[in-house]
Amino acid sequence: MNRPKLKLRKMNSLEYLKIVLYTTSILLIIIGLYAVVIKRNLIKIVLGLSIVDSGVNLLFILMGYISGGTAPIFSPAVMEKIQAGQSVSMVDPVPQALVLTAIVIGFGVTAVALALVIRLYKHHKTTNIDEIRNLKW
Amino acid sequence: MVAANPIYYIALPLLTAFLLPLFGKLHKELIRIVPGLLFAYLAWMSFVLINQVMTTGQPIVVQIAGWKPPLGINLMFTPFSGFLVAFINILAFLVWLYSYKFKKVEFDNALKYFVLLMLITAGSTGVIVTGDLFNQFVFLEITAISSYSLTAFYRGRDGAEAAFKYLLIGSLASTFVLLGILIIYTQLGTLNMADIARNIDKMPQSLKIAAFLLLFVGFGIEAEMFPMNGWAPDAYSQAPGPIGAVFASMTSKAGLYALLRLSFTIFDFSVASKLLFVMGLLTLIFAEGIALRQERIKRMLAYSSIGQIGLIMIAFSFNTYLGFFAGIFLMLNHALIKSLLFFSASFLVYNSPQKYIRDLNGFGKYMPLTAFLFGLGAFALVGFPPLSGFWSKFYLVTAAADKNMIFLVVVILSVAMVELVYYFRVLHRLYFAEPTGEYEPKRPRWNAALAMILLAVVILAIGIYPDMVTGYIGKAAHAIMDKAGYIQSVLAR
Repeated sequence: MNRPKLKLRKMNSLEYLKIVLYTTSILLIIIGLYAVVIKRNLIKIVLGLSIVDSGVNLLFILMGYISGGTAPIFSPAVMEKIQAGQSVSMVDPVPQALVLTAIVIGFGVTAVALALVIRLYKHHKTTNIDEIRNLKW
Repeated sequence: MVAANPIYYIALPLLTAFLLPLFGKLHKELIRIVPGLLFAYLAWMSFVLINQVMTTGQPIVVQIAGWKPPLGINLMFTPFSGFLVAFINILAFLVWLYSYKFKKVEFDNALKYFVLLMLITAGSTGVIVTGDLFNQFVFLEITAISSYSLTAFYRGRDGAEAAFKYLLIGSLASTFVLLGILIIYTQLGTLNMADIARNIDKMPQSLKIAAFLLLFVGFGIEAEMFPMNGWAPDAYSQAPGPIGAVFASMTSKAGLYALLRLSFTIFDFSVASKLLFVMGLLTLIFAEGIALRQERIKRMLAYSSIGQIGLIMIAFSFNTYLGFFAGIFLMLNHALIKSLLFFSASFLVYNSPQKYIRDLNGFGKYMPLTAFLFGLGAFALVGFPPLSGFWSKFYLVTAAADKNMIFLVVVILSVAMVELVYYFRVLHRLYFAEPTGEYEPKRPRWNAALAMILLAVVILAIGIYPDMVTGYIGKAAHAIMDKAGYIQSVLAR
């Protein structure tokens, strides 16, 4: 009699956690966009770009999550379960693979951006975007 | 000899770019020769593959690592994507020929330049040839990161500023594309373009519109679509001369291809072509209007290039065979003519620091060949009869008249008049103004002259004998219209 009740409570907390995580990822994207648009410091703009990336990556991972799923690896423990005839649910591995790629790309872009900031600082002696206006913005 | 296979378009430049520093350790001249051999091979392979596809009429589908399409990544060499890939790689060879002696004494800079040139070619080819949405995103990023680096290539100029601006807008574009891919994947569980196209009806309407708009804006930024193209004129004018040609002929074509595949194959919205039309018209009018006011030659060429992108989008938005035909012809001509204009213009302003058009007074006497080739390019772009630009404009006007859009015919012809005005302003300075003798003219080296003459000959040949390419273009236009055939060729094996 006790068991279903326990399961229900666990599900609820998971759902709750999921909502928190979704909100976090969307907030991260908004915070990042805010930094990119409003902040005038070049370093802060680059930070904003990174935060947007993290938000998108978190959202990707969440989309691939299946409640109660294990890591998508046929580990000995999982194989034992399968041989015992139990059903095993795994999380979707594709979003994780995509996120790995996206993280590497985000890293590359951030590195290029910071290199450009260093070059701009050496040239203009400032990191304020309003003072770097040789070209029309 | 290695067989021709579309996978080499991506694998070989990436591998060579990785190994090039080692070649440089062996002998300094190898960093120039090896990319040349690679581009020559890819150009030859383009001829072989495009003829094979056009004669059999069957697209070449490559399954990578033996995984069948809906699961694995596949490459698609259809008559349409193949045609674009072929001319991109042939132009890449010409860009190499033009810049063979680039930075002759500075070994490190030359090495960086050739590595980035190979990466940008591989990236934009990959965007076109891939059949997988996420893979397309990755190639778009390869193209974008190499573009940022090439824009910031010169330390002395405002390259870093232009590159940072480009990077900001580019990262925003990649975020949009990634979110669009995310929505599609969560709804359909697949990333394969053909598979998405087959199942697109299963998506709820609201999410479908959201995904379409996110991807449209993301790819539109790379395609220099209005209003997110503020980066383009700066990037074109700050990058080294030949890279302006690369941006015009390769990266913008890659973005445009992604936009077209999205609108006509993946999604089935009938409003997509209307959206293309409105954005194309805005891009055209905005860019040509600003080009008229530019005082620096490379910014003028950049705005003119954006205007051509607008024209191409309008041509495709008709959604008829004639429209697609005109659009593909315009893409080819834009790549050829803009490359010639950038090649010749960067020699014309070689020694003037601010690259003003008024610095060119009387240069027609000092640099007869370069000035003549620039003039030929300008005439071809505006659309004078014995040159290739005439035919693409002619087919565009035919396609517009076929749709009974008389006002559009008027717009196209008046835009041609505007182009005439701002190109003639340059030609007038070149040939009829008194030379000031302020700046030293720079004679092009033999390799650069050869590349420009080859381009001019091709432009003239297509102009005199358009049947040379119309057969290919016709088949390419049929290919982009044949959505069912695209899905069939990927999934039915």
